[in-house]
Amino acid sequence: MSAEPVAAPAGPLILAEDLWRTYVMGAEEIHALRGVSFAIQPNEYVAIMGPSGSGKSTLMNLIGCLDTPSKGDYVLRGKNVSKMNDDELAEVRNREIGFVFQTFNLLPRASALQNVELPLVYAGIPKEERVARAKRSLEMVDLAARMSHKPNELSGGQRQRVAIARALVMGPSILLADEPTGNLDTTTGNEIMGLFERLQREGNTIILVTHERDIAEHAHRIIFIRDGKIESDERR
Amino acid sequence: MPFSEAVRLALTSLRSSKLRSFLTVLGILIGVSSVIAVVAIIDGLDSYIASRVLELGSKSFSVQKMPDIITSANQWIEMQRRKDVTMDDVEAVRRGCDLCTEVGAMVATSRDVKYGRVRQNDVRIMGVSENFSRIGSIRDLIAGRQLIGEDVENARNSVVIGADLMDAFFGTMEPIGREITIDSRSFRVVGVAERKGSIFGESQDNFVWMPITLFRKYYGSRRSIVIQVEARSMNVFEEAQDQARVVMRVRRHLDYAEPDDFNIETGESILDLWKSATQGIYAATLLVTAISLVVGGVVVMNIMLVSVTERTAEIGVRKALGAKRRDILRQFLVEAVILAGFGGVLGVLGAMAFAAGLSSLLGGMMATEFVAPVRLWAVALAVAVSSAVGLVAGLYPASRAAALDPVAALRAE
Ligand SMILES: Nc1ncnc2c1ncn2[C@@H]1O[C@H](COP(=O)(O)OP(=O)(O)OP(=O)(O)O)[C@@H](O)[C@H]1O
Ligand SMILES: [Mg+2]
Repeated sequence: MSAEPVAAPAGPLILAEDLWRTYVMGAEEIHALRGVSFAIQPNEYVAIMGPSGSGKSTLMNLIGCLDTPSKGDYVLRGKNVSKMNDDELAEVRNREIGFVFQTFNLLPRASALQNVELPLVYAGIPKEERVARAKRSLEMVDLAARMSHKPNELSGGQRQRVAIARALVMGPSILLADEPTGNLDTTTGNEIMGLFERLQREGNTIILVTHERDIAEHAHRIIFIRDGKIESDERR
Repeated sequence: MPFSEAVRLALTSLRSSKLRSFLTVLGILIGVSSVIAVVAIIDGLDSYIASRVLELGSKSFSVQKMPDIITSANQWIEMQRRKDVTMDDVEAVRRGCDLCTEVGAMVATSRDVKYGRVRQNDVRIMGVSENFSRIGSIRDLIAGRQLIGEDVENARNSVVIGADLMDAFFGTMEPIGREITIDSRSFRVVGVAERKGSIFGESQDNFVWMPITLFRKYYGSRRSIVIQVEARSMNVFEEAQDQARVVMRVRRHLDYAEPDDFNIETGESILDLWKSATQGIYAATLLVTAISLVVGGVVVMNIMLVSVTERTAEIGVRKALGAKRRDILRQFLVEAVILAGFGGVLGVLGAMAFAAGLSSLLGGMMATEFVAPVRLWAVALAVAVSSAVGLVAGLYPASRAAALDPVAALRAE
């Protein structure tokens, strides 16, 4: 037996077991997810695909710890997240998840740098260190020169890169992107996909939600959802 | 999230909608400024009354252009039409009132006085006749000499100072013969008056007496004079007043049927009126304030609810990035408190402007200077109360924001 403490729990980064998510609307129950199970290893690049209304966003909310399953277990880095309260989830999101949204979701009145600082603010990191880390993160996406610009002074692609810098700044376990190219033209979209590929090579785990085949093709694994269930799970 | 971050955030957010923030705090602004202004006015009146009561001892009275307390705007306008009381009037009363032992004259204003680098603010500068210290409540000296006849006749540069100035300027040093500065003119101290303490919280020792002739030389001879009269005894107090009244009426050629166009004031007449007047004013102010603070609170709450709705998406983003309930709660609470506190500060500024305007307006028209001081405690209280209003008004909107579901909030836009 080794005397050393266990560094990271062995096993997958994400373990989803029989996830259900049921919305109750009056008398009606809508099962957005009906028993979804999968595992994702560190440094994987996974796309989640499916038609509209299939449950992609619902699944993405669970993976991102924005929501908890009605039934089933979601284990992230060995921790069962399913039964956590709001504030515990907030902390997990802060440390483990880097969100990239279709609509960028930058704060309009804050500069690029301030936007990237935001997760660090909620992690309680002092101002000086925050600025240094946010700058480094902006450098990673080649936007150091634009850090004092407000979002409306940036192009769509630049905004999404700021959002990616913000997602990366805490060094999360997962980069979680929901239709990250949905609001971008093809060229800019390809640029962003190139950036994702680079980030994956550098060791990040990426989960991408999209309904575009071309975009999903960039990933190394495609999970296909239909009617709240996994229809196929192909590695390439 | 640290508190300083929440403050910075709130300021940015309020700055980005200046007009709305301003309109939101209008109610609080009105409430706060009315309290401070009224406290300042009553304070000013208090000291004015106190000084009048003090000047008039038990068997002394004064003849002056206007009454000390004016109860209506019409009366005030009426008073403006009256003739000023002049030095000739003083002389006439002196000759015509044989029941009066002393007839003196007094004019006053308010100035800052300096000795070297030390400054004493709002000192009552009084131009007085030689017998002034013997009329009303007697003021003895603790050092030097009183003003004498030659001082007044020759407008000699000599002044008697109150104990407050003695404390501020000289401490244990010898005061006599030193030069103090008023409006960049030097005055030589010849005496220091004994301490009388304060009335209504107003010091009675913050003054400079100078010969009335000197005063009129520097501050103009067109101010209405207050005639100070000491009756021979309590028994003839009323008769002495009548004698003075007759002298004045004759000089002004008043008909039998016409009322006096001047006022005779005694200590008692002032105090009675004053006590009944202030109570009513305080009660009314309290009511106005309470109402405007409640209205202000409702408006702040309303605008915060709007703000939470408008910023639902932002709240969603913040929550996605790791903001906890208490972070969001704090963000909106701080914003509400700053908003309301800002109303309080604006109210203070408004009240200061108002009090200053009032002081200079009334100051020029009364026999003695009127100063409405803005009290530090009133300012602190106003800001504290308005911030508390913000806290209470912000609680509900902020807890609504904090309780938002992140998924639902992110979808809003
Ligand atoms: N808050 C909710 N309340 C009720 N039903 C919901 C809610 N959110 C999602 N649903 C339902 O759950 C199902 C899955 O929705 P979801 O948003 O996950 O689909 P999606 O795959 O992301 O679709 P799209 O590609 O259009 O974004 C849909 O039938 C939707 O109507
Ligand atoms: Mg969706």
